[in-house]
Parts: sequence; C-alpha cells; structure tokens
Amino acid sequence: MPWIKIVLIASSLAVLVGVFRHRQRVELRAGSRLLALLLGALAVASIADPDIPQRVASVVGVTRGTDLILYVLVVVFVLTSLGLYFRVRESDRRLQDLARVIAINQAVLDGGAPGGAARLSPTTQEGTRSDTTARVPGS
Amino acid sequence: MENEDVWVIVPTYNEAKVVRGVIEALRVHFPHVVAVDDGSVDGSALEILAGGARLVRHPINMGAGAALQTGVDFALLDPGARYFVTFDADGQHRVDDAVAMVEHIRNHDIDVLLGSRFLGSAVNMKQSRKLLLLAARWFEKASSGIYLTDAHNGLRVFSRTFAEVLRMRMADMAWASEFLGRIADSKLPYAEFPVTVDYTEYSQAKGQHSINSVNIAVDIVVNRVLRGHR
Repeated sequence: MPWIKIVLIASSLAVLVGVFRHRQRVELRAGSRLLALLLGALAVASIADPDIPQRVASVVGVTRGTDLILYVLVVVFVLTSLGLYFRVRESDRRLQDLARVIAINQAVLDGGAPGGAARLSPTTQEGTRSDTTARVPGS
Repeated sequence: MENEDVWVIVPTYNEAKVVRGVIEALRVHFPHVVAVDDGSVDGSALEILAGGARLVRHPINMGAGAALQTGVDFALLDPGARYFVTFDADGQHRVDDAVAMVEHIRNHDIDVLLGSRFLGSAVNMKQSRKLLLLAARWFEKASSGIYLTDAHNGLRVFSRTFAEVLRMRMADMAWASEFLGRIADSKLPYAEFPVTVDYTEYSQAKGQHSINSVNIAVDIVVNRVLRGHR
C-alpha cells in the first residue's frame, strides 16, 4: 500500500473526529446544510444529464461515475449515522433528566422532603415545595 | 442517633427477594436510606417501603448509573446530608464495612472513599471475574488516570462536595468508569478501603455478564474520543 493512502486514511479519520467534536459549532451546522443542498442539486443535475457523474469521475480519477456515487454515498451514510447516534444520545439524556425530576418530585410529594421538615428552617416551612423539589438541569 | 448526616443510596432493579433485608440491615446504623427503584417489575417498590427506606421510583428503566444519580440528587435536597454511601441492593456488601468507611472518611481528609475487595476479601469469587477485574484496573488507569485495586466496587462513600459535582450522564453500566472520571476531574482526594464482597448464588445469577464489559469499554472510548461540547 502506498504511503499516501495511509496519510489519506489517517487524515480523513482525524477530520471525522474533529467534525464531531465540534458538532455544536454554528459554522459546521451551516456547512452541513449547504452540503445537503449541494448534493440535492447534483442529484437533480445528474438525472437531467447522466453523463455528469461520469465526467466528474474522470476528472477526479475514478473509473466509473457509479463508483464515484458509491463513494459519496458511503461518506454521507457514515456522517448521517454518527449524527443520528449523537442526536439519539442527547435526547436519551434529556429523557433521563426529565424522568429523574418526575421521580424525585413524586417521592417528595409522597413522603416529604428528605431529612424531614425538622431539617427545614422555620421561615422556609411554608410553601417550600418549589425549593425542595428538583428541577431539570439547565432550565 | 448516629449517622444522622449520612444518606445511603441503594439503586434497585428487580431485587424484590433481597432488597428488604438489605435495607433493614442498613437501617440499624443509618437512619436515612433512599432506594431508587429503576422501573422494577417484580414488586421491589413495596419491599423497599416495607424495609423502611425512602422510595424514589423511576417511571422508566434507565440503568444503574442513572438510579445512583437520582439517589444522590434526592439526598442532596436534604441540607443536613454530609456523607453519601452507595450500596448494592443484591446483598453483596456488608453493612459493617459501610459503617467503618463512614467512620474513616469522617476522620480523614478524603472526599471519596472506595471499597476494594482486593484489599479486603471476596467470598466465592470466580477466577474469570477476578481476571476481568484485574484487566479493568488497567483500562481505568488508561482512560481516567485513576489507579484503583478494585475499579468496580459498588460500595462507596463520598462527601457533599463530591456529590455536588457528580452529575453522571452515562446511562449504561459505563457509569462506574464515569464515576472515576469525575474523581479525576474534581481533583478531590480519594482513597480505597478494604471491604468484603459476598458472591452469593443470588448475586451471581443477577450480576453482570462478563461479556458486557466489551460494550462498556466501547462506550467509554467513544465517549472520550467524540466528547463534543454542549
């Protein structure tokens, strides 16, 4: 295997990791939307003129236009899967925060604040529910 | 009463057969016990209440780490809580060990005290489990920088300072590693304490399959590499 391939593989992995570490950056989100629009436009263009993928392929040194499309598809698929993975993980975490708050609030409603009312100072004993119940973090 | 400023957190998932006994034993020394029922379907909740613990019930099953975090959040609502103990619901730990650990953390300048079955003893531990735990040592050292003789012991005692920064997010069993990562990030002093772990037939049948460590390791590596900014 020529060394250039190793360099290319390593750098594409590095780009992938870099992209996902900074996935909250607004430039990246704008970039991915533009990329999606560009791919859509390319798809329409290559339906109108099926020779376009072939010509692009020969410019970049790929034998067939279909191969080029396959490569692009692989890249798009990997990015999409990882993007969805992180999105699902994020919404799992939100669900977890929400369920935790519900569980704790229910426990406080059923049995009072942990440690009992004796622990609360006299001034906070009346109407303290908002002080002793949990809140969703970050809200 | 002794240990008025201690909360014992017992994450519980389908432990109806044993959880009541565990809680009753704890309540002899610890007035404040909270058991987090992580969506059990076997009546664990009733056993928890019968044992005399506070019950916090997850509406859905969310995993042991999430249950532990819920217990910590609940106990933190008590302004008098100074020490937090985590204690498995399946009866593998000994209450005497927990009492000794609380005593130790009170008298030393330590924020996190972790039980170790390798400093203490493990009754009826299988050889395969032992090898896995030895491998876990090195994995945890490499991923969090914290070296412990027993990286995955369910018996832990920590201060309010550490409880307030804990905030664990890993839903799966990877939370044990996340816990160690939090110790490293917080730079608070920690130590290990010899304890005994009883491998009863019950706890072995219910415990983790060793192969699950593969899932855990992959989760941790992915989480570290692609951490991302919120």
